[in-house]
Amino acid sequence: MENAAYVGLSRQMTLRRELDIVANNIANADTTGFKVEQLLVGTEVGERARNAFIRPSASFVLDKGVGRDFGQGALEQTGRSLDFAIEGEGAFFKLQDGAGEAYTRDGAFTLNAEGQLTTEGGFAVLGDGGPIILDRALGEPAVGPDGTISQNGELTGRLAVVRFDTLSVLEKGGDGLYRNASNAAPVEATDARVRQGMLEGSNVNPILEITNLIEIQRAYESISRMIENTNDLSRRSVERLGRVS
Amino acid sequence: MRALRTAASGMSAQQLNVEVISNNIANMNTVGYKRQRAEFQDLLYQNVERMGAQSSSQGTVVPTGIQIGAGVKAGAVYRVTEQGTPTNTGGLYDVAIDGRGYFQILLPSGETAFTRAGNFALNGEGQLVTDDGYAVQPNISIPQDAVDVSISKSGQVQVITAGETEPSIVGQLEIATFFNEAGLEAVGDNLLLETTASGPANVGTPGEVGFGQLLHKFTEASNVDAVAEISSLIIAQRAYEMNSKVITTADQMLSVASQVKS
Repeated sequence: MENAAYVGLSRQMTLRRELDIVANNIANADTTGFKVEQLLVGTEVGERARNAFIRPSASFVLDKGVGRDFGQGALEQTGRSLDFAIEGEGAFFKLQDGAGEAYTRDGAFTLNAEGQLTTEGGFAVLGDGGPIILDRALGEPAVGPDGTISQNGELTGRLAVVRFDTLSVLEKGGDGLYRNASNAAPVEATDARVRQGMLEGSNVNPILEITNLIEIQRAYESISRMIENTNDLSRRSVERLGRVS
Repeated sequence: MRALRTAASGMSAQQLNVEVISNNIANMNTVGYKRQRAEFQDLLYQNVERMGAQSSSQGTVVPTGIQIGAGVKAGAVYRVTEQGTPTNTGGLYDVAIDGRGYFQILLPSGETAFTRAGNFALNGEGQLVTDDGYAVQPNISIPQDAVDVSISKSGQVQVITAGETEPSIVGQLEIATFFNEAGLEAVGDNLLLETTASGPANVGTPGEVGFGQLLHKFTEASNVDAVAEISSLIIAQRAYEMNSKVITTADQMLSVASQVKS
């Protein structure tokens, strides 16, 4: 077999994966706190399929990882007192469930029947001293930029906003959650600000994603054509060389 | 191709979004209606290459890994319990709540329902009832010879009967609050029911700490903002179209792949 077909195939495989990621970005263009992702593609130098005297090695395409853009999403006013957005890149609300701690940028919180602040999925939102319990009879909770919660001027708690030294330790867990895949401990994010009555939109740029979509499709098609041509070439050489004159 | 299913999940999410928005627009003039909002969350991720996995025998590890998401789902559709504008109607039995709280309504089944719609009326026995004839709790009866009715901010119902100059108290309206108002279950006809998610009703007098006060001869308009809803509708439609574009692209790529061997 020819190298060209294999190299082309390696690119087509990564293109299929890129399409999956672009599809997920577009599907989540309206998801609260979603961060856009991109496949990181690199070159993998490999042996050529055919031996020859001149031996430049063949360069295959390999996907090395997924890059996440933790850039700020647009803040949208919702008018709900238990909606929170973080202004400041790479900072997260700290949550807890049975499986341990989780982190999120999706601040659409609610109170459960016991008055505990939770996410829509039932994760407890953590404050400085564990879960936050609010008694609404004390008045509407007002949250300051540093996360302090006050009701009728009385301080009743503080939302924990944390960040990691390297964001690559975070693994997406679905439902807008991130989990810590290492044992690095998060630190308090002092520069991030909490905005009450707002939610952070996703930072997906739809125009960019549609452009990616077109590029992926065109690249896929041109490689297909290249593989076809390579096949043609081998077929014709077999025909011509094998002709008995 | 995973992209096909991912885009399909995006389309059904946007469809739900349009359904929620259309219900908001339809209820723009419904007394006491609270607009709803659909909240989306990403679906689970598949780890194709785990981060932290060893990439060589020298102990180097994959720094980022490859996680591919499976699309989007509706996380919640919640009610935004923002105050609606009190509208002066002049109706003798119209009451709006300014602040937190719900009126209590006795359903024919014996259950108690809750509502923000205070456009009440009297039934044949002079009892204060909703549009559907369900009694407001606690029961308030207006005597037949009443010439004027007034309801105070704290819910005291006073009437002036024919021939009298001094008003007399005939009842006291009470309202209920909840830990989690978003957890109330809407059952139509402007009524909401208590659930385990909402927590038990906490009944009190209007105007107390944590309870709203009453406005007589007013009703609370819906808190739907038409302009915001129409822009959400446009965004939802565009998002729907973009997801369909992904499906077309994935389909065309599959067709290219199948044409390689001709």
